[in-house]
Amino acid sequence: MNEHVPATEGEISTGTEARPDGRVDLAEDYRSSGVADVLGELDRELIGLAPVKNRIRETAALLLVDRARRKLGLAHETPTLHMSFTGNPGVGKTTVALKMANLLHRLGYVRKGHLVSVTRDDLVGQYIGHTAPKTREVLKKAMGGVLFIDEAYYLYKPDNERDYGQEAIEILLQVMENHRDDLVVILAGYADRMENFFNSNPGFRSRIAHHIEFPDYADEELLRIAESMLAQQDYRFDAEGRAAMEDYIAVRRSLPHFANARSIRNALDRARLRQANRLFETGALVDVEALSTIRAVDIKASRVFAGGLAHERARDA
Amino acid sequence: METKVKEIKGKERYKSGVLKYAQMGYWNGEYEPKATDIIALFRITPQEGVDPIEAAAAVAGESSTATWTVVWTDRLTACDSYRAKAYRVDPVPGNPGQYFVYVAYDYILFEEGSIANLTASIIGNVFSFKPLKAARLEDMYFPPAYVKTFKGPPTGIVVERERLDKFGRPLLGATTKPKLGLSGKNYGRVVYEGLKGGLDFMKDDENINSQPFMHWRDRFLYCMEAVNKATAATGEIKGHYLNITAGTMEEMYRRAEFAKQLGSVIVMIDLVIGYTAIQSMAEWCRQNDMMLHLHRAGHGTYTRQKNHGVSFRVIAKWMRLAGVDHIHAGTAVGKLEGDPMTVQGYYNVCRDATTKLDLQRGVYFDQDWCDIRKVMPVASGGIHAGQMHQLLSLFGDDVVLQFGGGTIGHPMGIQAGATANRVALEAMVLARNEGRDIDAEGPEILRAAAKWCKPLEAALDTWGNISFNYTSTDTSDFVPTPVAAQ
Amino acid sequence: MRITQGCFSFLPDLDEEQIKAQVEYCLRNDWAIGVEFTDDPHPRNTYWEMWGHPMFDLKDAAGVMMELNACRKAHPDVYIKLIAFDSTRGFETVRTSFIVQRPKVEPHFAMTRTEVRGRTVNITLTERA
Repeated sequence: MNEHVPATEGEISTGTEARPDGRVDLAEDYRSSGVADVLGELDRELIGLAPVKNRIRETAALLLVDRARRKLGLAHETPTLHMSFTGNPGVGKTTVALKMANLLHRLGYVRKGHLVSVTRDDLVGQYIGHTAPKTREVLKKAMGGVLFIDEAYYLYKPDNERDYGQEAIEILLQVMENHRDDLVVILAGYADRMENFFNSNPGFRSRIAHHIEFPDYADEELLRIAESMLAQQDYRFDAEGRAAMEDYIAVRRSLPHFANARSIRNALDRARLRQANRLFETGALVDVEALSTIRAVDIKASRVFAGGLAHERARDA
Repeated sequence: METKVKEIKGKERYKSGVLKYAQMGYWNGEYEPKATDIIALFRITPQEGVDPIEAAAAVAGESSTATWTVVWTDRLTACDSYRAKAYRVDPVPGNPGQYFVYVAYDYILFEEGSIANLTASIIGNVFSFKPLKAARLEDMYFPPAYVKTFKGPPTGIVVERERLDKFGRPLLGATTKPKLGLSGKNYGRVVYEGLKGGLDFMKDDENINSQPFMHWRDRFLYCMEAVNKATAATGEIKGHYLNITAGTMEEMYRRAEFAKQLGSVIVMIDLVIGYTAIQSMAEWCRQNDMMLHLHRAGHGTYTRQKNHGVSFRVIAKWMRLAGVDHIHAGTAVGKLEGDPMTVQGYYNVCRDATTKLDLQRGVYFDQDWCDIRKVMPVASGGIHAGQMHQLLSLFGDDVVLQFGGGTIGHPMGIQAGATANRVALEAMVLARNEGRDIDAEGPEILRAAAKWCKPLEAALDTWGNISFNYTSTDTSDFVPTPVAAQ
Repeated sequence: MRITQGCFSFLPDLDEEQIKAQVEYCLRNDWAIGVEFTDDPHPRNTYWEMWGHPMFDLKDAAGVMMELNACRKAHPDVYIKLIAFDSTRGFETVRTSFIVQRPKVEPHFAMTRTEVRGRTVNITLTERA
């Protein structure tokens, strides 16, 4: 289980009061609530993901309008905010969930704004009587914030009707219904498996109002992600290195276990290892330039260009 | 300060005659205290014409190895290490003629675990020394190597609270009044009423020992009947500080044993019994699961004036080492001397795990207490329910608030007086925890509680406007003095 | 008889919002919060039953309220208190505790006095309904 504390502990803003003429200044609310800042961060920090950003913008607008309606006494009920994030690994689901937690906090829909990120193992026990306390423990820690359940479909094992996952599902459904003011649940995973999961557990589908699909990154986006990851650590590609990375991305996508940005991060970790060895073996004096440049040889030595890792070829054969 | 005085060394140093203290090696402006040195900070007022550096060296000399003349027998010892070293002299801000003098002492100078030995050096002769008009021991630093030779409080704040099962709020007490003249039976009545009404402790006064109107065994028997009856009536653990102060150690042990036999959780002593007697009683308490309450009777004779004596913060440090569980440390807002920030300094010395240098509160050294237990400070003397927000804000949770007159003088009776204090306290703690600004909203919070609590209403109507706004004498030299109880 | 153990026994019983506010205070101080219950409020009864372990690392009072309400449902007519633990070195103890449920009829304590040597009396408290 991972717990993320919001980077900016923003004060909850209740928005501006209705004006004497009975109107609400939505633009002012947008700024003063800090929602503008969070959306700005999202735009700056995340490359690509245009459809996701749109959906989040829409959600924020919905919640701002909901607050305005409440202020002017129009019919409203606490909106259902539980969500599903679907998409392949490495497309930014956890990062976006963090932003979402912050956004919901700024708007006053969760009190504390932290994100608790879990998988089946954090919720489901090993023996009778173990699961309920485990699930409740996680739920208690998530209250006031967002509970992010990655690969949520592993909770449900249709081939084993005595699987303890069912117990966790029941408690989750109950809390998602009865504690809507206390926490927001985000279920995440591959789109197709999530669809099957919702079909077998209609209780979840009915409690989730926002489905957000995360597309895979385009090759060009992954290259920008690679450059930005390197820049954060004071590295950069030279021209040939950049071209090699482009080739790498094209080949890697076709291999098994492609995980978008995560695959890029792993590739860069290995490239830095090779760069270090290369510098060490030359035995020459090194300058800033040499220390911070990733060259084509550091990328091209990857086994990806030889058709992937040996054990992966064997397993996927 | 100009600090270049030449120490005389070699043959010249030990020629018969009189040398200046500074020349004898008691002044070293470049000295850096060792990690095992004990440091004392004195405020001195030299006589007209006496050089402050020489006066500082004299303080170091007179509180360690020096005598007024040179002695050849020094040369039979490693005398350099026995000489205390004055190493820093600062003029006191805003007080011309006064100087802060820092003196370092090697730890070989002191017997382990003996406040008597420590004080015989540090305040032994030097305060009568003619070249000084006045001297005051402002603060002391004790290195871990020395602190660890003391066992400290036998019970401490944490264990006291666990034994009493009382957490999250200051404890409440009251001194039985009138302090003299009540018979044992009448005295126990006051104890029962106060405890049943909501106090945690009642207390003997410092001069209640075994006088003709009430012998100590009578007092103990009636008080413990009252304590047990109040416990039964409330379901809460109650106590009474049974004062065991007596003329001899033998008699004090006898009284302590009887208190234990009757099931008391706490006994009490007065500061006037002396440091060794205090350490002996601390040892007895440790062996007998008893808490030790110390009344600081007599301290005002030497702690109050700023230019001469011993600061109470030093007494508090000595008493934490000596091992008491409670110590009267001032109220800031009550009838007795005490500037709020200076008093907070005393409290911090009692309760911190590590006390940080804090000039505004009169604390001149970082002090690591090496995990010895914490002393519960007691605020007693002329305080009442109407000051609850100020007391909680100044002192926090770990304090005993003692409302003597404020309980027993209540127009509706003693129980009502106790209830008024308890309700005021709980309402204030509740409000503080809810995040309310009790400094600003305190009176309002009290009035709101008084709406459903008649005894509190009566207390506020009786004493609400009483405050003791006199200027304190013992204030920090580093801030303008705030006035209490505005 | 109203037993006056705990931090707020002299105030009217705390309502849900007041309890939540106290829990938030504990959480701000990084204290773990336990729910304990008993039908034996003798002042020397140190160990009330624990309703689960103390709750560590919570961010919000809602989690504590969920357990408190579960405990109330299972034990509607006993004493329940919330108790906050501080793991800071030098404290490592309870920092606050207060009663959040009382039985409809609270017991009282009878005092039994046994006369022993001299005028000494040994006292035993016994709970009576």
